[in-house]
Amino acid sequence: MSSFILLAITILLAPFYSAIILKVKAFFGGKKGPSFLINYYTLIKLLKKGSVYSESTTFIFKLSPIVTLSVSFVVLLFFPIAGFQPIFSFQGDVIFLLYLFGLARFFTILAGLDTASPFEGMGTAREAFFSMIGELTLFTVLILFFLISNKLSLAAYFGKLESMTLWQTIGPPIVLVILALYNVALTENCRVPVDDPATHLELTMIHEVMILDHSGPDLAFLELGAQLKLIFYSSLIACLVFPFQLGSMLANAITFFLVLVGIYVVIGITESVIARYKMTKTPKFILFSFAMTLFATIVILEF
Amino acid sequence: MNELFLILLFILIGGLLPLLLTRQFNFMKMLSIIFICGGSIIGLFQASKRLFGETVFSIEIECYNLFSIALQMDAISAFFLFPIYIITILGAVYSFHYMNKPDNSLKTALSYLFFSLLTISMVCVVLANNLFTFAISWEIMSLSSFFLVIYDYQKEIVRKAGYYYFVFTQAGALIIIAAFGILFAHTSSLSFSAIHTIPENTKLLVFILLFFGFGSKAGIFPVHIWLPHAHPAAPSHVSAIMSGVMIKMGIYGIIRFYNLLGSDSIIFGQIVLAFGVISGVYGVVQALGQHNLKRLLAYHSVENIGIILIGLGIGMIGTSLKQPLLAALGFSGALLHVFNHAIFKSLLFMGAGVVIQKSGIETIDQLGGLLKRMKVTGITFLVGSLAISGLPPFNGFVSEFLIYFASFKGINYNEQSFIPACISILSLALIGGLALACFTKVIGIVFLGEPRTVELKSIDEKGSSMMVPMIILSAVCLIIGVFPGLFIGMALTAAKSIVVIPEDVLLTNVTEISQNITFAAFILFGVIAIVFLLRTIAYKNKTITMSSTWGCGFTKPTTRMQYTGVSFAAMILNFFKPVAPAKVDHPVISGHFPKETYYHSEILDIAEINLLQRVVKPILVIFDKLRWIQHGDIHLYIGYILLAIILLLLFI
Repeated sequence: MSSFILLAITILLAPFYSAIILKVKAFFGGKKGPSFLINYYTLIKLLKKGSVYSESTTFIFKLSPIVTLSVSFVVLLFFPIAGFQPIFSFQGDVIFLLYLFGLARFFTILAGLDTASPFEGMGTAREAFFSMIGELTLFTVLILFFLISNKLSLAAYFGKLESMTLWQTIGPPIVLVILALYNVALTENCRVPVDDPATHLELTMIHEVMILDHSGPDLAFLELGAQLKLIFYSSLIACLVFPFQLGSMLANAITFFLVLVGIYVVIGITESVIARYKMTKTPKFILFSFAMTLFATIVILEF
Repeated sequence: MNELFLILLFILIGGLLPLLLTRQFNFMKMLSIIFICGGSIIGLFQASKRLFGETVFSIEIECYNLFSIALQMDAISAFFLFPIYIITILGAVYSFHYMNKPDNSLKTALSYLFFSLLTISMVCVVLANNLFTFAISWEIMSLSSFFLVIYDYQKEIVRKAGYYYFVFTQAGALIIIAAFGILFAHTSSLSFSAIHTIPENTKLLVFILLFFGFGSKAGIFPVHIWLPHAHPAAPSHVSAIMSGVMIKMGIYGIIRFYNLLGSDSIIFGQIVLAFGVISGVYGVVQALGQHNLKRLLAYHSVENIGIILIGLGIGMIGTSLKQPLLAALGFSGALLHVFNHAIFKSLLFMGAGVVIQKSGIETIDQLGGLLKRMKVTGITFLVGSLAISGLPPFNGFVSEFLIYFASFKGINYNEQSFIPACISILSLALIGGLALACFTKVIGIVFLGEPRTVELKSIDEKGSSMMVPMIILSAVCLIIGVFPGLFIGMALTAAKSIVVIPEDVLLTNVTEISQNITFAAFILFGVIAIVFLLRTIAYKNKTITMSSTWGCGFTKPTTRMQYTGVSFAAMILNFFKPVAPAKVDHPVISGHFPKETYYHSEILDIAEINLLQRVVKPILVIFDKLRWIQHGDIHLYIGYILLAIILLLLFI
């Protein structure tokens, strides 16, 4: 039951967390920034609207938001939020989940190409390329986790008893994993320095340009899907950073959500202090995370 | 046993009848298809009796006391018979509307004859129980498929493709026969049963020879070169059979002889895995760079053969390390991928066939917007693409999941399995990501967006006999993806005859895996249904407006402004430049009033280039110098023969 409540809270809080990034960026810019509830307002506004569809599009364009949001939900169903047993779990679920992200990406890319817009085509090509390299890092992380825990499920990695965190003997290589996962999280969720969600020029976008033609509730679904994906990656990092074993369930949950705030603040700071890389540099940025994980894997062999 | 002859007779009649009935074009096709399908359906029943029951049959016919024809059906043969019969049936049905040119009836009749011969010979290859039968069936298979490839022999490009195929298939056969020669020299018998007695070192040599011999059929890097030439040239149902089933005969050969050699050395697994990884990654990178739809699919066959070999390699390593679970999962993953690939690859070739037949265009970047006009083809092609990219809930995911599982089991065993397991996992992940990029390119450019030429606007899809097989195949993709239990079981039964697997370890693990996949698929479906419901609610009483695509302020877009497949793939190909160098022909635009320009690009196959430059050219130079031997004087030729006999007398 508590898993269900936590899941509901996580989903409800996802738009709030994304607003934290905006707030941090506004602070660095010396501005007041939008309200913490800005994303809720946006979602409600979008849900109230109708939609404009391009005459070029087919049913795939409408299917894409459904698949994207569904995948984000399914992934969270398997995640042990704050160290609680997830709602579903089985041996090998991590592989399934990574491939589900692939499914969502497949449909996002297709929806982009469906509009016949050259800008969206450009975005999709980048998305396909960058996440391909990101996937390599994620599978290396899985190899490393398997070496430590001999298991292939999120529940086993971050469930209560055998959870892996920074504060154990395996800590040092985990630092590298956290950094690598942070890089991948920035890539997969299209944040600075890979992609700038706040940019104004379609030519330079990745994720935003792919959903350029979506409007109304469809866009709301995509936005929510993206926010949930970011919270999934952040939770992954949060679980590695902090062991949620404080004894009381409430304390666990509260610290979890506080750690999440911390991670979002870090993302906000990252976005504020560095500029976006040149597109040609991005693969190196992602490959760097792959190299870090590979190194961590080699180190862990000696533990 | 008589059943088998009945089956083969039926299929043969299906091939021979058209020759007599060339005047009634449609009747001829229909009769031929009925006989071929009838025979194959009985064949399916026979194979399933073997795979799910214990009826073993074998037969041996002596011929003139010189050699014997021996056939035997064990679990591996039965497993491979499934894709052969299924794709034959569906390919035959597809051909009814695909072969629609009555003006050359005899040519079509001959193509049905070779089609039936190809099926018969493939059945004989998997049933063969001695070296002689195997070699004969193998040769008939190669030749009949060669004649199918050159169906459109009037076109020069088709003849060239046929030539490529012929050279590779015969060179492959030559290496296989050489390996058989070594086997015969050691055992002085043609039967399979004595093969395991040969010395360990010879086993390795024989295996390497056979691996490349069979590899030239299967399409393993670097002997895959004929695939991208032959598949675009052949009619689409033939490509479907060749890519879906016939190249798997190479895999069958590797598995069969690995099993017969019965060696425990780990080097076998390492070789297979290494070539699997290279073929897999190389195939998909090359595929991404292709402009021709069927050529792209042909390179994907190289990729999938790579995935199958990765599974086999892990299985073999598991066998040498005495890890039954590792071996069982690896082998059954590979075998299931054989079956899955047969399903989705023939589906994709059939879809490509419809597109090419209706539009007359093979170049990806000239197509576009077909989904609106070809609903069935578009949706089935989409299903096939999702399956080949290994995405849940389709069948490609199931077999890749098994191979992943096997590889992860290998990680914690010991250092001998750790590195192969890591390589296998990472290459599977890389292949998955690239395949996704490649098939989003195909669907996005060919089926979505706006038509890039005017003719495409009036295109339609007629010809129900082409639609039905595609619908069936895409349904199978989904069924295996959601309920894999039965199919994993089939693959496992076949795997059991390769390795000894303790029942208890296995049953729990494998049933658990298949249940988990079903469970996960249902969760996905459930959540999608809920989200769909939410969307329906959100759109209740909303105004939906249709408009043109947002052009970022530009108001006069044309269809030529769409992103092309070349530009979509450019970034990734640039990253893989060392293995997929591009040849670009594009005059620089300069001056204030630039002249008209053009852009031509081609991704070069490094295997083909190097083979031509480093192997074929030197050989040609040598043979050129020996040309004086060949002067056309018959007396001297007789002299050569005499000389050869005298020399042989001296030596023996």
